[in-house]
Amino acid sequence: MLGRAARAVGTRSPLPILQGVLCEVAGGTLHVTGTDTEVTIRTRLEVEVLEEGKTVIPAKLAAEAVRKLPVGAVAMHAEAGEVEITGNGPRFRLREYSVDDFPQLDVGADGPATEIDGDVLTTALAQVGVAASADEARPTLTGVLFEEEAEGLRLVATDSYRLAVKDLEGVGSPGTALVPYRALREIARSIADAKIGLRFGERDATFTSDRGSMTARVIESTFPNYRQLLPEAYPNRLVVERAALLDAIGRASLVAEDHIPVRLNLHEGGVELTVTRQEVGEETEHIEGEYAGEEMTIAFNTRYLTDGVAAVSTDDVVLQTIDPLKPGLLSGSAGMDFRYLLMPVRL
Amino acid sequence: MDAGPGRTSHFAERFLHVDMDAFYVEVERLRDPSLRGVPVVVGGLGPRGVVSSASYEARASGVHSAMPIAEARRRCPRARFVPPDHRAYAASSGEVFALLEEFTPAVERISVDEAFLDIAGLRLHFGSPAEVAVEIRAQLREHPGLPASVGAATTKFLAKLASEEAKPDGFLVVAAGRELEFLHPLPVRRLWGVGAATHAALEALAVETIGDLAALPPATLEHRLGPSVGRHLAALARGEDPRAVEVESAAKSISVEETFGTDLVGEEAIEDAMLALCARLSGRLGRVGRVGRTVTVKLRSADFTTTTRSLTRRSPVAHTPQLWDAARTLLARMPVAGGVRLLGVGVSHLETARAPRQLSMTEDGRTRVADAADRVRKRYGEDAVVPARLVAKHARRRGKPPDR
Repeated sequence: MLGRAARAVGTRSPLPILQGVLCEVAGGTLHVTGTDTEVTIRTRLEVEVLEEGKTVIPAKLAAEAVRKLPVGAVAMHAEAGEVEITGNGPRFRLREYSVDDFPQLDVGADGPATEIDGDVLTTALAQVGVAASADEARPTLTGVLFEEEAEGLRLVATDSYRLAVKDLEGVGSPGTALVPYRALREIARSIADAKIGLRFGERDATFTSDRGSMTARVIESTFPNYRQLLPEAYPNRLVVERAALLDAIGRASLVAEDHIPVRLNLHEGGVELTVTRQEVGEETEHIEGEYAGEEMTIAFNTRYLTDGVAAVSTDDVVLQTIDPLKPGLLSGSAGMDFRYLLMPVRL
Repeated sequence: MDAGPGRTSHFAERFLHVDMDAFYVEVERLRDPSLRGVPVVVGGLGPRGVVSSASYEARASGVHSAMPIAEARRRCPRARFVPPDHRAYAASSGEVFALLEEFTPAVERISVDEAFLDIAGLRLHFGSPAEVAVEIRAQLREHPGLPASVGAATTKFLAKLASEEAKPDGFLVVAAGRELEFLHPLPVRRLWGVGAATHAALEALAVETIGDLAALPPATLEHRLGPSVGRHLAALARGEDPRAVEVESAAKSISVEETFGTDLVGEEAIEDAMLALCARLSGRLGRVGRVGRTVTVKLRSADFTTTTRSLTRRSPVAHTPQLWDAARTLLARMPVAGGVRLLGVGVSHLETARAPRQLSMTEDGRTRVADAADRVRKRYGEDAVVPARLVAKHARRRGKPPDR
C-alpha cells in the first residue's frame, strides 16, 4: 500500500516534502497519502495499532524497503525524527520529513456522487485512455472527459489523431469533468475494488473505494467539440476476427517501426495488409472477412491502429470507412458502446 | 554584390543546361586511367554495334555517336574500343543527379548525362548564375570526377545552345538582353526541330543562320514549313521559349528499355535481362520519388513484332522485387520463343512517394504553413524555407566555398 500511494509522488517535484508519503494511524487504520499536488492517492489498511500518530517518510525508499523485507508482519515505529521499519530481522531507520510541511489537502471533493462497478470503470478507462495525448504541452488533450448522456455516463478522449468514445449505459454521471488520464490510470493500480465511487467537485474529481481514494485536479479548459468530428454515415464496412487482425498488424509492425503506416486494402472477401519500408523490405498478408462497399485502400499508423483494435472487446472487430482521407471507425461487433475514430495517414 | 537597378533581375539567366562531356568515355577513364589522353570509343562491339560515346580525341578523327562501330574502327584505328557498361554509367549518373539535386530539386532529366536546372531559388546563395555554373562544374570535377559543360540563359533552349558552345569542359552564360546577339550568328541547323527536310526547305530560302531565319516574314515561313513548324521556329529564332523546367515526377509513366546486340534466346537469358531492367527502373523511380500501380512490359521479338502487357497492383510498387514479380508474371504471357530483340519495363499510374503524413482531426494553421513550406522546398531546394533563426547559418553554409 505504500507503493500504491507512492505512485502519486512525482519524481520531478520541486518540493522535497512531496517526495514523502504521509502515514496516519488512527482508529485501527493506517492511511498513506502521496501527492504531487495535482494528483493525490490515499490508500488505507486495517492495522494493529500500538500507538496513534502520523509521520511523513520518503516514499520511494520506504516502499522499496518494505517490498524487500522477508515475508511476514512489518512494524513501523516513529520516534525522534526517525522512522524504524522492521520485519523478521532487517531494520531500516529512515529520516522523517516534517509533518507540518506536508500540504493540506481536502481529499474528497463534495458534490453528487455515483457508484460504478470497478471492473467496468477500469476497463472503460483503459479503452478510451489509449486515445488520450501524453503531450503535456496540450493539457486539454491529456484528459478523459466524463459526460452525462441521456443513456448514461460517457467517457471521451482524443489526441487529435484518434478519438475514443465509451458509453456506459445505465450508469449515472455525477456531472461533467475533464480528468487527466495520467491520474485515472492510477485507479486500476492503486485503489481499484468491486465498487468505485465518483464525485466531481469544482476543481477536483475524486474516485473512492474501500481501498482508498484518488483525487485529481481537473483540467480547466474546454474539451474539443468531438461530436462534430463523428461522421454520420460510413459507406464501407469490414468485419474481421479481432485476434487475426491484431496478429497481422503485429507482424506488419515488425517492418513498419513507428512512422511507417500499414496499408489496408479493403475488398470483397476481406482485407490485405501491406507495409513497405524503403530500405528494409515489406510484409503483406490477407485476412478473410466480410466487406461491404467499394474496394479501397486506406493507411493508418500501425500503433494507433493496434491501440484501437486491441481496445475492442468483442471477438470480431468492425472497421467502417468513408474514403482514404477521412477517419475510419473501429468498433465491436455487438454494438456501438465503444467507438474508436482514427484519422488515416495520407500516402 | 550588385545593389543597383539590376538587383531584381540578377538571376535572369535562371536556366542551366548541364551536359556531361563524353560521359561514357569519362566514366571508363575513371575506372581505367590508361584510357586518359588517348582516343576512346565506347560502343557495342558486336556485329550490330554502334558508337555510344566517343572521346574528343576520337571525334577529331571523325568518329561520332550512332556511327557503326566498324566505321569508327576504320576512321580511328588507334582508338581504344570499350564495350558499354550501363550499370557503371547508371551509377555515375546517379551521383551526378544527386549532386545537381543538392543545388536545387528543380532538375529536369533529359538523359543519363544531361539535365536542365532552374536555379532561380539559389539567388540568395550565389551572386550570379555564372557562380552556380562554376560551382557545379567544380563539384562534378571533384566527385564523381567528371567533366561537364554548362550553359546558362534566360530560356531552356538558349541554355542548351550555350552549353553546346561551351563544350568541351567549359561554361557560357548568355546574358539577359544579349540573347539575339548570341543566337543569330549560329547556323540554323542548331535550332531544335530543324531536321534534314526542314533544313533543305530553309536553304531554298537562303537561310543559313538563325538571324536569317528571324529576318524572314513570318508568313513566308509558315507558308513554306506549315503553320505550326513555322511559328515554332520563328519563336525560337526570336529567342522565345516559354517552357519551364519539368521535374520528372510530373511524368505519367517511367520506363526503361534495352535493345540487345544479339537476340536473347531462352527463358533464363530473357529473365536475367528483365531483372536488370527492373533494377534500373527501381533506381529511376527512387531518384524521382515516385511509385506506380501499373507495370507494363514491352517486348519486341526477332521478327520485329512488338507486344506489350500490363497489370495493375492494388498498392503502388517501386522496388526491384515488386517490379520483377510483376514483370515475370507478364513475361509468362508473352511470345518469347523466337528470340527477343528488345525488352522494356515501365510503371504508370504514378503517385508521389512523399513522406506519409498522419492526418489530424483538427488541421490547424500550423499544418497548412508546413504544407506550403514543403511545396516551396520542393521547388527551390531544401534550404529555401528554414526557421528564421537558421537563415544566417544556412546562407553561410550554402554560399561560396571557403577557398573562393
